[in-house]
Amino acid sequence: MNVILIGMNHKTAPLEIRERLSLACGGDVNPLAEMKKISCVSEAFFLSTCNRVEAMVGASDESEVLHALRSFIFRQGNLTDEEMQSCLYVYRNKEAVRHLFRVASSLDSLVMGEPQILGQIKDAYRRAAEENATGIMFNRIIHLAFRVAKRVRTETGIAGNAVSVSFAAVELAKKIFGTLKGKTILLIGAGEMSELAGRHLLNHGAGRVLIANRTYRRAIQIAEEFQGEAVAFEDVPEILKEVDIVISSTGSPGYVVTTEMVTAALHRRKNRLLFLIDIAVPRDIEPAAGDVDNVYLYNIDDLQGIVDDNMKGRQLEASKAEAIIAEEVDRYEAWVNSLQVVPTIVSLREKTQIIVKGEMERLSARFRNMTGEDRESMAILIDSVVNKILHDPITHLKEESEQQAALPYVAALRRLFDLDGDK
Amino acid sequence: MDILLFKIALGGYFICTVGYATSLIIRRVLLARVSTWILLFAFIAHSMFLLLHSLRYGTMLAINVRDALSLSAWALSGVYLAFQLQTKTRVLGALVSPLALILMIVAATGLGGSPLVPAKLQGGLVAVHVAAALIGEVLLALASLAGVMYLVQDGFIKKRRTSGLSRMLPSLRDMDRINHLSLLWGFPLFTVGVIAGSLWAGIVWGSRWQWDPKQVWTLLVWLVYAWLLHQRLAIGWKGHKAALFSIVALVVLAAAFAIESLLFSTIHNFV
Repeated sequence: MNVILIGMNHKTAPLEIRERLSLACGGDVNPLAEMKKISCVSEAFFLSTCNRVEAMVGASDESEVLHALRSFIFRQGNLTDEEMQSCLYVYRNKEAVRHLFRVASSLDSLVMGEPQILGQIKDAYRRAAEENATGIMFNRIIHLAFRVAKRVRTETGIAGNAVSVSFAAVELAKKIFGTLKGKTILLIGAGEMSELAGRHLLNHGAGRVLIANRTYRRAIQIAEEFQGEAVAFEDVPEILKEVDIVISSTGSPGYVVTTEMVTAALHRRKNRLLFLIDIAVPRDIEPAAGDVDNVYLYNIDDLQGIVDDNMKGRQLEASKAEAIIAEEVDRYEAWVNSLQVVPTIVSLREKTQIIVKGEMERLSARFRNMTGEDRESMAILIDSVVNKILHDPITHLKEESEQQAALPYVAALRRLFDLDGDK
Repeated sequence: MDILLFKIALGGYFICTVGYATSLIIRRVLLARVSTWILLFAFIAHSMFLLLHSLRYGTMLAINVRDALSLSAWALSGVYLAFQLQTKTRVLGALVSPLALILMIVAATGLGGSPLVPAKLQGGLVAVHVAAALIGEVLLALASLAGVMYLVQDGFIKKRRTSGLSRMLPSLRDMDRINHLSLLWGFPLFTVGVIAGSLWAGIVWGSRWQWDPKQVWTLLVWLVYAWLLHQRLAIGWKGHKAALFSIVALVVLAAAFAIESLLFSTIHNFV
């Protein structure tokens, strides 16, 4: 059986094509059922996310399955032949497994190290299992993929540091305040990025959100979204004394928060630490405010700088991750090789011989009174019983292997007789 | 038996010093975590040593330099471990454990048999005086260590260098809290130590206050810390300034001891 993986991702296919395909596959068509209809396919796995579509099958005839997969599934997306040529990649056997491992470890993701992909693979696997689409091979491969992903996550820093501006803000806030529990946030102005940052801070435990906007009505709207409180724009200098984190993103041409305001507020708040985040361009907060003791000011470029640094860090960690993957691919290969018929028969024979020898030695004291001749015939008797028992399984295994269908039998045999010494 | 315990504690301090340092260099938190457990182990051994030691020689702990140093190391580790329970400040261990180690090494070597307090000066209040003053000073030292780390982290955040070493350091709030709590507990203990000493001096020297250089310097140190605590509690000093001045205060304290022991002759010359 060959493992064949055909797919497209954010690097090979534009969003528009991925969209078409994932929409089509999410609709009436059940891709797993379609894949299983192909005659030479014995196992199937299908993964579709907004950044990728991957179809993996275990099949005996490679060219037939490639042709069938292309026409059945990728026609669903109404792709032209040229589009298919340029967007699709095909991996075989070891390389297919390596690709799946890389996807699971988020090395192949748009944002390297993002955690969602593993969950998506788990969902896809559950669907495949429900459809009875996976068998011995794929169960093993996908479980190995989970294992690889876990190793990469724990043994490398690939998922370590924030790679978005709003998460960088959360990390900084934690560096200053330790915990965000009970901290109050002031959002000045509205905007996607400031609201996102506010939401992340809330999700990490921040207690209360105040919203100030030039138009009070808008402030009330946003306050409803956050279940926060709207405050008057004019009161910002006053409010600075009670908040811990300020996120500002107004369209104002001048400074909304001046150094003078910050100094005055700090005095009145008894020097409690104050974290100012200026997302606006042009800037809302006077840069010199960041020089005041116990005040920490970050603007959008500073945050982006952190994100860029962290991204570089992740890339460095990626090479460690590739090494782990290479190791696990080797492990997979060793397992596949063990599934060959001949080595299995050999180890089955070895195992029975070891058992016979061990038992003979254990009981040798009891046979002291037997003559050498008796002992010999007893050994012959045992051997012939063992051989008779093993004869049928081995014969059938050989027959199946001639028909290329031995895999499940081999796997079952290895498991039943514990030939891999796993448990 | 107690010597064995002392050696175990010494070894423990050594191992966790190496562990903390390595964890900083290779940036693995796990190693620091293990080091904390080793420090706890060393601390327990050390506690048992102190207990056995005081049982054997009566209740007079910290009667010579060796005991005083060992007691300081013990208090330092104990206070740090207590903080560790409350805050995620493992990195402070990287400063605390080598300090404890140095105190222990000095205690173990040369100074072992050095001047005892003259027999006629020994008595109940001496133990109170020495123990309270020592533990108080250790806490004040810890406040400064927290202050140093606060300033380092503060500098990193202000200069926008938040990757690298900054990740290993605790949050500003944690450092500020340790600084605050150490000061809050250290100062009263130090005060108790000074008062007990003064009362005892009244009994054995006949005068509670003699304008001895050591006493004058101690008074100065006490005033500096009293002022600092006042600024914190009444004026609302926090963060940067509080950290900075707790370091300045410790420098005054250290300078006080250095100057008086080098330049002045004092009747209080045993520790």
